Amino acid sequence: MSLYSGELAATLIVIFIGFLPNEVWRVLGVLFGRRLDEDGLWMRWVQAVAAALLAAVVARLLLVPSGALVALPLWLRVGGVASGIAGFLLARRSVLAGVLTAEAVIILGAWWLGLG
Amino acid sequence: MQPPSVPISSPPASPTRWFFRGMRGAWSAPGLVLLATFVGFGGLMHDVSFPIFAGLLSVLLIWALPAQVILIGGLGAGASLPALALAVCLSGARLMPMVVALMPLMRGARPRLWKELLCAHFVAVTMWAEGFRLLPGVAAEGRPAYACGLGAGLIALSMAGTAIGFYLSHTLPGPLAIALLLLTPISFTILLVRNARRTVDWLAIGLGAGISPLVANSPGGLDLFWAGVGGGTLAFLIARYGLRRRA
Repeated sequence: MSLYSGELAATLIVIFIGFLPNEVWRVLGVLFGRRLDEDGLWMRWVQAVAAALLAAVVARLLLVPSGALVALPLWLRVGGVASGIAGFLLARRSVLAGVLTAEAVIILGAWWLGLG
Repeated sequence: MQPPSVPISSPPASPTRWFFRGMRGAWSAPGLVLLATFVGFGGLMHDVSFPIFAGLLSVLLIWALPAQVILIGGLGAGASLPALALAVCLSGARLMPMVVALMPLMRGARPRLWKELLCAHFVAVTMWAEGFRLLPGVAAEGRPAYACGLGAGLIALSMAGTAIGFYLSHTLPGPLAIALLLLTPISFTILLVRNARRTVDWLAIGLGAGISPLVANSPGGLDLFWAGVGGGTLAFLIARYGLRRRA
């Protein structure tokens, strides 16, 4: 089907595309940790890129989904996540409250639309 | 839940004993939250038909959920492998300061490089928080083994969650299966909002999320590159130079 659906290919991808590029930072932290300037310009750029990457992946999953999420209308996907942020802010910044709010909105919405 | 500290007067213990004490320390509220989060990841894996063994291996080896979601989500969206490796690499940079901060607590009485590298592998956000909570109460000679036990325990819980999510996603009724798939995007969105403090953070979130659908299916599987590296760099430049000129 796709290039990663076999176990061997997927394992190689996990090791070379996932494990090694990620583990580099932990090794660098051990080797050069004491000389690290967390507020240096370069670290600030890396932090901005890391936040943008995560936001991009989340937006991609929500706005241009590929799997079973296609069945859920766009307004419900976005509305669910927005209600989660609202729940998080209203419940004095409780992550759990935010997640539960969003999940409740999505389950009720999907059930009301008769999905599945 | 585990008491916050192990009494200092406890008799001398072997590294194995410390390791199992650490594993028991993983069985806590943050550990269970982690398990639930990985249930969502397992569902996502199943949705893009990523095989279970390699997925469980990704928990053990990558051990950083954002990197794992970038990898699995990117593969599902047809990203190119070099672009994905770069995206994973950039997302992992936040681990370095965590390793630096936690290492003095994990190092123990007689530091060894290989022990430090092993302990560092377990560092991720939950380990970081739980390490600061639990390690100060552990005797210095037991710390490397305790830290490895704690990390191994957290990884075991996360692998269990991944397997549960993988098998649940096709047995759950429709609305619940969809809610399971949205667990990861929802919790990441809320965590991004929680961690955003400075202007540059909000700009990076807005630009990353805004550019991502515009460049979806861009040639060469470079969507993530444009949205992440482009959006993040733009946010960095605007926060550093754009706003200052106006001020």
